[in-house]
Amino acid sequence: MDTDKLLLCAISAAALDLCILVLIIASYCEKRSDKKRWRSVSADMEIADANRSFPLSCDEILIGRHASADIRLADLSVSRYHAMLTVADGVWTITDIGSKSGVYVNGSLVRERRLHENDVITLGSKRLLFRKRRDK
Amino acid sequence: MSNPVSFIFSGLFVILAHGAMLMNIFFNGNYKNTGDLALLAAVVIGLDILFYIIMLFWKQNTYTVDFMLILILNMSTIFQASFGGVHMDKDVIKHIITCIAAIAASRLGFWLVRDYRRIQNRRAYIWAGIGFLMLVILVCCGRRSIWIDLGFITIQPSEFIKPLLVLACATSINEQQHKHKFLSFNIVWENVILFGVVAAVCLFQWWCRDLGSIPTFAAIYASGFLLRICYPKTKFSKKTLIAAISAVVLICGVGIYFAPDYVRARLFVDVWSDTNGDGYQQSQALIGIANGGWFGKGPGFGFLHNVFAHENDIVFATISEEWGLLYALMMTVVLLFICSSPLIFPPRSYFHGTMCAGICAAITVQMALNIFGSCNLIPFTGVTIPFISAGGSSMVTSGLMVGMLIAAQNPVFTKVKKKKKQGNSLLSPLKQRRSA
Repeated sequence: MDTDKLLLCAISAAALDLCILVLIIASYCEKRSDKKRWRSVSADMEIADANRSFPLSCDEILIGRHASADIRLADLSVSRYHAMLTVADGVWTITDIGSKSGVYVNGSLVRERRLHENDVITLGSKRLLFRKRRDK
Repeated sequence: MSNPVSFIFSGLFVILAHGAMLMNIFFNGNYKNTGDLALLAAVVIGLDILFYIIMLFWKQNTYTVDFMLILILNMSTIFQASFGGVHMDKDVIKHIITCIAAIAASRLGFWLVRDYRRIQNRRAYIWAGIGFLMLVILVCCGRRSIWIDLGFITIQPSEFIKPLLVLACATSINEQQHKHKFLSFNIVWENVILFGVVAAVCLFQWWCRDLGSIPTFAAIYASGFLLRICYPKTKFSKKTLIAAISAVVLICGVGIYFAPDYVRARLFVDVWSDTNGDGYQQSQALIGIANGGWFGKGPGFGFLHNVFAHENDIVFATISEEWGLLYALMMTVVLLFICSSPLIFPPRSYFHGTMCAGICAAITVQMALNIFGSCNLIPFTGVTIPFISAGGSSMVTSGLMVGMLIAAQNPVFTKVKKKKKQGNSLLSPLKQRRSA
């Protein structure tokens, strides 16, 4: 193939490469915007215990002792699969998914309960606070 | 629009990439009639601009996969129109129409599964859809055929089972907690039904002699099956996993042992000792890839357009020969980027996670079967590369699946319409017990 034609082929391929690169960069830019959107969907809440805070980054969050749990509480009083947090229209709900010690919200035993800011959730001997997200 | 700057730049660079490809044909390509090339350019750039305008009316968090979709679709239009010299005949026009149908299907897929609770409550329709398609295959296709010929168009009904199977896997994952006691076993009926349906679909494919599609169905089911490890309360042990892998190995072994002669011949064929028989397509494909080199012989200057099924079964080799291996690999990169997009925008629910895994498995397996088959690394199957190979059914179902993938990155979280139940759940525990 002639040098001119080869050069043209290379330029054409480079344009396609550039396009793919731009789309990858664009996706990372959009990811940042998506994080902000999720904060508005999730009402910018988090779960915290005495030492740590857990971000609420999905619409279904499993709390339990099992290694596959999204919020893992390594305490024998907590069931392996204890409770599920779900969000819809910015409202978080906690559901007991068959735990042995039950789910308590502000001291009352619940099977399913809509959560409000500063609610205290008790799972076994663990106490968690449902609060607004705090930036580190 | 979450990020207008990235939206504008993405659209501009997609047009630039297609423009560069058309320029390459103009200076390097084989065309007799400049009018055909002008028409091709008008269609491609026109479709780009039209898509760009349509996307302005869709409110999404991310548009990257949408732009990847239009990039790959118009790339395939340019490839298909330039095979053996630029032409705008009936087949190319049909391909352009199927590309538009794929875009429409992607919008449909996006609308269908954006709110997963809606499809979760209507999963009976998914099972009914799979049953209906299997009935259609049984009645209309018959043994040794996978096509329904309507005269002006041929349809491959098994292709439409793929997105439905993905949805069946995804909806079943939320049913994992509904276990029932049966003969001292804890059984989730949805899992049993799903396994039965997958087994039936695979048997149907065997019956129709479309063995190439079986790995795709198996990959969709396997991805859904494995993702249940992550789901709460499934108690998916290592023993179950080992048993499942052993069962797969056993089934494959038995399948190969009892496979019909034509399958075994294809599994163990030496393409170079039978270049005019069973090994014709693969040997020509390999020669074509070698002839093309990195930059190709020039659009329209290849030989492979004379080989049967050059536009679908050995499309990777045809592109490599005319456009070069570099272009063929970049086409693969675009498809892989579409598949890896869930890593950048992680799905925010188990449903969307399973759905994404199923779609990515289906696209990746189809692509691998076609490319590795053309390169003689695995037996030749005749499976299409999504969006690149010609074929309306494949194009529409791939569009639908990518639309579902886009929906997983732009989910909506709305209230479930069960006001009575929700009202009860907000009662105090004492009142709940009384009402129970």
